[in-house]
Amino acid sequence: MIKLMKYELRKTLFVKLIVLAAAALAEIVFLIGVLGDRERMTGTGIVLLTMLAMGGIMVIGLASVVTLHRDVSTKQSYMLFMTPNSSYSILGAKMLENGLSILLAGACFFALGALDITLLFAHEKRLDALWNTIRSFLEQFNEQITLDLPTMLSLAANLICSWISTTAAMYLGVVIANALLKGKRFSGFVSFLVIVALLWLIGYVQVETLDASVSIRTAYWADTGVALGFSVVMYFLAAQIMERKLSV
Amino acid sequence: MLESQSITKKFGSKTAVDQVTMRFETGHVYAMLGPNGSGKTTWMKMAAGLIKPTSGTVLFDGSPVGIESRKHIAYMSTEPYFYAWMTVKDVGKYYEDFFEDFSYERYTGLLKKMELTEEMKTTSLSSGMMAKLKIAVTMARDAMVYMLDEPFNGIDLLARDEIRACILEYASETKVLLLSSHLVEEMEAIADKAVFLKNGHLVDQVDLEEMRREKGISMADRYREIYGHEEAQA
Repeated sequence: MIKLMKYELRKTLFVKLIVLAAAALAEIVFLIGVLGDRERMTGTGIVLLTMLAMGGIMVIGLASVVTLHRDVSTKQSYMLFMTPNSSYSILGAKMLENGLSILLAGACFFALGALDITLLFAHEKRLDALWNTIRSFLEQFNEQITLDLPTMLSLAANLICSWISTTAAMYLGVVIANALLKGKRFSGFVSFLVIVALLWLIGYVQVETLDASVSIRTAYWADTGVALGFSVVMYFLAAQIMERKLSV
Repeated sequence: MLESQSITKKFGSKTAVDQVTMRFETGHVYAMLGPNGSGKTTWMKMAAGLIKPTSGTVLFDGSPVGIESRKHIAYMSTEPYFYAWMTVKDVGKYYEDFFEDFSYERYTGLLKKMELTEEMKTTSLSSGMMAKLKIAVTMARDAMVYMLDEPFNGIDLLARDEIRACILEYASETKVLLLSSHLVEEMEAIADKAVFLKNGHLVDQVDLEEMRREKGISMADRYREIYGHEEAQA
């Protein structure tokens, strides 16, 4: 499994390096802005880092889905499927590597964000104004959000795990298209519908199983649990289909 | 050692392999012959566990092919299949990571014979060089069964001699070598048994020495008997 994960990382390394380089560039812009008291550059850096934190994680997940698609639909599939590894190991390695990459990227962006905010507070004299700006930005997502560490952690975990479950749904869609619908008309469209239906189901379960009176933090952790639970179910389903039906 | 029992593979309405039952024993080099579309590649891919049969089974040592058989069956596809980012060295390291029977030392020895270097990028190899690389990495395994699909494709005459020598070097009493090719004359010099496939069906399975002795015909003669009419029409 570790060896499979090593090669999964190698296959998606280029995309990850691009995300890393872009984040480094945005951080430099931010630091020049803060340390040189250039408000416009500070603002640009914050916007870029925020976009990268969200977009970067999405790109890492999508790169993994594209790699899976290549690994089951092109001749490079032989590299995986002629080795003595089961579909469970092959897909498991992909999901674990991708999940860990998303978690690591999320943790890095979270830590970077915390560091940058601290740095900003240390240099910024108008603390109240800045604090209000950040708060109003977060309130766009949910008005119950407060800027304390436990809430921020629950929000980060929720965002990261939601994206992991989205990626798992896309994995299942790719496997269905290539194992069950291969050569059939509209296979791409049907698998897209499957992905949309799965994402709707996850959202539905998250909303329906939650008591409206719980705190925002509890709600985030519950959503995180539902997303991870669905990810595991979708992984087993996709691996089972691969093991029984996939011809490469 | 390796056998298929009534194996069938359909792709939509087309039947690529139809109810094929055959058996391959250790100590022999088999030529799998037939024109394009006869089912050779599909059969090999099913034996390698890459394609799931529509019905029937392929057995290795009495058990259906799967994860365990992949440890002992070395399959070389006719198409290039290495990752685009790989160098020749990466290909060897990959095989070393996943196949216990792979010898990196043997691999480097074969690369030298094939005039390939470890630094070469797989994407920059010519079709002949790619064919040599596939042979080198496959034959560097100490497998029980070697299945080589069109090993002489895209290879010049001199390189063919090297490949033929390499294949024969690793043939032994404990191994099965199964090679498919259109180049019947090339196969005649290597194989001692042959299977003939036509339109997905097994037409004949012969011992070449026995056929020469009893019927006085070569593998090429038998090939002409089976496919001559078809090729003349084409």
